[in-house]
Amino acid sequence: MKARRGEAPADRLLIDPTNCDGIGMCSHLAPDLVTVDSWGYPILVQRILERGELRSARRAVAGCPRKALFIAAE
Amino acid sequence: MNSTGYRPFELLAEPPAEVRAGLLQARPVTFGQYSPVPSTSLAGHDLPAHAACFGNRWPLDEPAAERLLHDLDRSYLTGRGGGHFPVSVKAQSALRAGPGGVLVANGSESEPASAKDHALLWLRPHLVLDGLAAMAELIEATDAVLWLHEGDPDLLDVLTRALAERRRAGLDRIVPQLALAPQHYLSGESSAIVRSLAGGPTLPAFTRVPASSSGVHGRPTLVHNVETLARIALIQRYGSAAPDSTLYTVIAEGNRQVVEADQRWTVAELIGSVTGRSAGYQAVLVGGYGGRWMRWSAVAGVGASHAAMAAHGINSGAGVLLPIRSDECGLWQASQIASYLAESSARQCGPCLFGLRAVADILDELVEGAARERDLSRLQRYRAEIAGRGACRHPDGALGMVASAMDVFADDVDEHLRLGSCRRMRSGGLPGLA
Repeated sequence: MKARRGEAPADRLLIDPTNCDGIGMCSHLAPDLVTVDSWGYPILVQRILERGELRSARRAVAGCPRKALFIAAE
Repeated sequence: MNSTGYRPFELLAEPPAEVRAGLLQARPVTFGQYSPVPSTSLAGHDLPAHAACFGNRWPLDEPAAERLLHDLDRSYLTGRGGGHFPVSVKAQSALRAGPGGVLVANGSESEPASAKDHALLWLRPHLVLDGLAAMAELIEATDAVLWLHEGDPDLLDVLTRALAERRRAGLDRIVPQLALAPQHYLSGESSAIVRSLAGGPTLPAFTRVPASSSGVHGRPTLVHNVETLARIALIQRYGSAAPDSTLYTVIAEGNRQVVEADQRWTVAELIGSVTGRSAGYQAVLVGGYGGRWMRWSAVAGVGASHAAMAAHGINSGAGVLLPIRSDECGLWQASQIASYLAESSARQCGPCLFGLRAVADILDELVEGAARERDLSRLQRYRAEIAGRGACRHPDGALGMVASAMDVFADDVDEHLRLGSCRRMRSGGLPGLA
């Protein structure tokens, strides 16, 4: 489910860890939502995104070279 | 009686004495020095022997299907592969998804410590295949698959013969297909099986929808452990009053023994029945390599059934029990296993691939007396970082084993930190480990 403007925000930032290569674009594009672990792999916020966070979440999704990130309602 | 010596079904009002004694008639099956060929006084069942012992199964008509579903629910049967998910819930989910699904009997037993599925397939192949047939009919599956490890030619022979007997007798509405899994730790993980059957690699997958509603090519797919299926076959015959027991693999003294636990036994009695001693242990690894270490005092007196263990907050997992004597270094065993689990990563998810290795390295340094306090805080941090971040449960199982070892062997940890060693014995290899 894609998040649209004006929609009740129930969206989360999620990852398919089997696709992630730890390149790290996401943590640069959305430092408020993504930190990295000791090996450079992303740790995502574990909560529903606030409306104001959707923009940077979408940036991280679009910037992932491995297409491992996505936004979805869980 | 037809040419195969197969008798038509006779309704058995109650389980005959042999069956009341359980799947393996409470007789131990030994895999000496971890040999793949079991030694036991129990004879394996060909089709006539199977029918003579358990009676023939009958196809499920609609009332029988409803009764089976009801009995599965009432018997509280849970998955015996280690997940302990309720069988009736999984079946309901597949029923909601509709007919045309895939049912898999998972006999690959990729938990290297376990041998109970191997023993069961070896001795009671038709009971497992009866359960597969019953479940396939119940959920109106159109494919049934028997999933086995490659590299086990003797067991493959047993099952090939059993399947041929059933084909000759025209026993199965949906003829089961054999599929062989590559020999690695995670090839029996259910999302890996689903992925492989759909033509992909045999590796765990990241999934958001359960396979029971959308699995192989979007078809509802159920993966059942073979012990679970054997119990389903008994429940079809005897309802929720079917004899219940638990198959355990006890690893001790360089042997593996599969034991069908008498429900009245305690864990100490069960282990004692194999090793000849029910004292002198400090701890037990319960469930499998990805299980939990328990203090002997916390587990010895608990009833040896999945339900009794669960009532004490113990997850019996795939039924593996690995006792550690008081003169053995438990931390060393834990570090060997941690290293093995790190090597067994499917190498797909970074936190598992790099994180488990890092955790195992710290444990290794600890047993060699090279770790400091700060390494233990590093271990804490790694554990928090890795938890819940794999596509499958492999890293979480490994972390749980490590965390419980650090807790149960806390005195050893202290001695290794301060003195470099605990001066306890380092016992020999374990199954799957060099």
